Amino acid sequence: MDPSTLGLILYGLGLANLAAIYAVMVLGLNLNWGVTGLFNAGVSGFFAVGAYTSVILTAPDSPQFLGGFDLPLPVGMLAAMLFSGLVALAIGAITIRLRSDYLAIGTIGIAEIIRLVLKNEEWLTNGVRGITTIPRPFVGDTALASELSYLAMTLVILLVLYALLEGALRSPWGRMMRAIRDSESTAAAAGKNVDARRLEAFVLGSMLMGLGGALFAHYLRYIGPEATEPITTTFLVWVMLIAGGSGNNRGAILGAFVVWIIWSATELVTRQLPTEWAVRASYLRIFLIGLLLQFVLQRFSRGILPERNPAERAATGPQDKVL
Amino acid sequence: MTPLLDARGLFAGYGGLDILRGCNLTVAPREMVVIVGPNGAGKSTAMKALFGLVKIRDGRVTFNAADITNARPESLAPRGLAYVPQEGNVFATMTVEENLDMGAYTRRGGIAEAKARIFDLLPALALKRRHAAGELSGGQRQMVAIGRALMMEPKLLMLDEPSAGLSPKVLTEILDAIAAINAAGVAILMVEQNAKAALAIAHRGYVLAGGTNRFEGPGPELLANREVAASFLGG
Amino acid sequence: MAEFVNLYLVNGIVLGCVYGLGAIGITMIFGILRFGHFAHGDMMTSGAYIALALVWASGLPVLWVLPLAMVLTAALGAGVHWAFYRPLGTGTHSTIIIVIASFGVALMLRSAVQLFFGVDIVTYKRGFQTPILVFDTIRVLPRHLWIIGLTVVLVAALHLFLKHSRLGKAMRAMSDNPALARISGVGTTRVVIAAWVIGGALAAAGGVFLGIDTQLSSQMGWNLILPMFAAAVLGGIGNPIGAALGALVVGVAEELVTYPWFGDPLISPAYKSAVSFAILVGLLIWRPTGLTRGRVF
Repeated sequence: MDPSTLGLILYGLGLANLAAIYAVMVLGLNLNWGVTGLFNAGVSGFFAVGAYTSVILTAPDSPQFLGGFDLPLPVGMLAAMLFSGLVALAIGAITIRLRSDYLAIGTIGIAEIIRLVLKNEEWLTNGVRGITTIPRPFVGDTALASELSYLAMTLVILLVLYALLEGALRSPWGRMMRAIRDSESTAAAAGKNVDARRLEAFVLGSMLMGLGGALFAHYLRYIGPEATEPITTTFLVWVMLIAGGSGNNRGAILGAFVVWIIWSATELVTRQLPTEWAVRASYLRIFLIGLLLQFVLQRFSRGILPERNPAERAATGPQDKVL
Repeated sequence: MTPLLDARGLFAGYGGLDILRGCNLTVAPREMVVIVGPNGAGKSTAMKALFGLVKIRDGRVTFNAADITNARPESLAPRGLAYVPQEGNVFATMTVEENLDMGAYTRRGGIAEAKARIFDLLPALALKRRHAAGELSGGQRQMVAIGRALMMEPKLLMLDEPSAGLSPKVLTEILDAIAAINAAGVAILMVEQNAKAALAIAHRGYVLAGGTNRFEGPGPELLANREVAASFLGG
Repeated sequence: MAEFVNLYLVNGIVLGCVYGLGAIGITMIFGILRFGHFAHGDMMTSGAYIALALVWASGLPVLWVLPLAMVLTAALGAGVHWAFYRPLGTGTHSTIIIVIASFGVALMLRSAVQLFFGVDIVTYKRGFQTPILVFDTIRVLPRHLWIIGLTVVLVAALHLFLKHSRLGKAMRAMSDNPALARISGVGTTRVVIAAWVIGGALAAAGGVFLGIDTQLSSQMGWNLILPMFAAAVLGGIGNPIGAALGALVVGVAEELVTYPWFGDPLISPAYKSAVSFAILVGLLIWRPTGLTRGRVF
């Protein structure tokens, strides 16, 4: 095959792989936000926990970090989900009752603490240097086969998750979650254990973010504390969800692919520029993504979000409107 | 005589649901008008609609011959229209004196004199002038709420259930104060659950039920009307 | 003892000043507009870099350009509100959309700074400073005295403004009870713009002081978000002076836990931010009204 065509195909596969990985995380965020109305601003934290857990459990022995368990990949990924779920359970048990702004700051805090731990506990994580001896499945003879098989695995995972989530949404559990999102007081009056349900959604969503982290680490074969920077991870995942239409699993996946393609396309453009400009241009990309988000919020705020903020009291009419 | 406040054919409510269905109210200068009726009749909604806090879907409100239908609430104080809501009617974290200052927000001058007059009228407030309004008893808070509204020397004072949650003794004090305010020349439009006490001191009354007017007439007449008493005044 | 005061207590107070100037803005916006402004840290970053640009352009020391930087950042705050928050319908039922928008604004401000100034660390021009001797044992750096002194002046001015001026009282009234404020004739636009102007101006001061004390980097403001929110909640949401005092507590607490009380510090200095997180979570669970019993939203 002509090398430039191969390059293009490989690039496209790389794009698809990362988009699919992000899609897994967006599904998780949708479970938090779109379905249950929980403002999880700590996506990067759960992502990091999942990534590092899987890496530590599956990597070969190393003096630089806590490795050597050499467990198979599926175990690593399941452990990633389990561990992020546990962290979510711990933080959620304390903060789940809080009003959205406060839940946001609580989850930001936990992501920050996770980042500090990953950065400073060098015995565990090799600190800022990160870990590079990460195993990856399907590393065969050709890059093409490797990319394709990883993509196949990720897409299968994505489809299974999608099916499970859609099923869950149609089930009585799903209806109850939406009832809680729309009117917490009514649901509580009907005898539903609102806090327990919200905690469930919080933990499950965070587990998906952890899985995304694991998939990410094994794909790129590198993980470091700055890879979990809130800027890229948390923000991008949120933009993907909002742009794709939250409350909606299909929208979540669509948003992931569309935004990731836009994000990567802009990177392609800026990479053509001379180095000095290219670096600066990457900040311009972030600025424009932020602007895109504002545009989407202003145009489409109706219907994108759950009708009611669960932590607020029922509306008492328009007299409280300040502006 | 041209009415001070004239509301005709009001349809208003929350969301798409009308609570007021064709309601008429007028208040003449210096008059004391009382609105009574069963729960859910739309009395509070009528007050809020007049003050632009609930959207009027149909109908018209004029004050001093100027159209104020769906006007922004903050534009009404400068016109001489004051309102004491039923709940949240004081600035709880501000002192009594500061509450009165806020009442005078739209005034240009004479604030100190106005304050002195209020303290004369409601002497209990003078003692507590530096206390936060949220720390006062229910009756005292109500006095602060009314005092705040009076600071702008309104032409019309609207009150929504001033006696809510108060003991009978305090209720009498409040109603006495309101009667005195009216005697001083301020028109009053008052929603009151305690219909008997209110109608006894009013010039005119409206009985609202199901969002529309049912009865209207001089206060004592409505009180004496047996049909009114039985069906609408709770016996 | 001297070491304790010099290296830890004074540092804690200076940190508290920086946190306080930002926390005041956060608590005011929370009180008047009813949402948590996550872009406030980056507003402080913007203010610090605006001052840097002014320093480069004029050659003057940074404290001389501070007033202009405060004015420009105040305008920035009002502009951000007009472009990104007002269209989303701020009010007592501020939906969470605006909080999401504020995350976006934070990112935009930060990337704009990175775009124009790069990511390298810079400082305001700073000569060597000899410490001033106080009470014969305590040595305080002149720049610390400036920071603490100016902060006290700014906070005192704000307090007088809120207590005695017509607009100040209107702002407190709107924060206390927005519906009643409107009924009393308070125009909401004026109060909202005032909140952004004051918030922006103080944010610039906080950012500049942080830059003076340490250095400037594009992340500098975002890193302050946790402690500033903790300070605002500690002081009672909606209470600006409370937020300033809460910030002092948070700043000093952060330094105190890293003091080698028994030979070793209570926690490693690398985990300083965990302190404000712990304070915040503790408050939200046990005493959301804060120390001064402010409102709970």
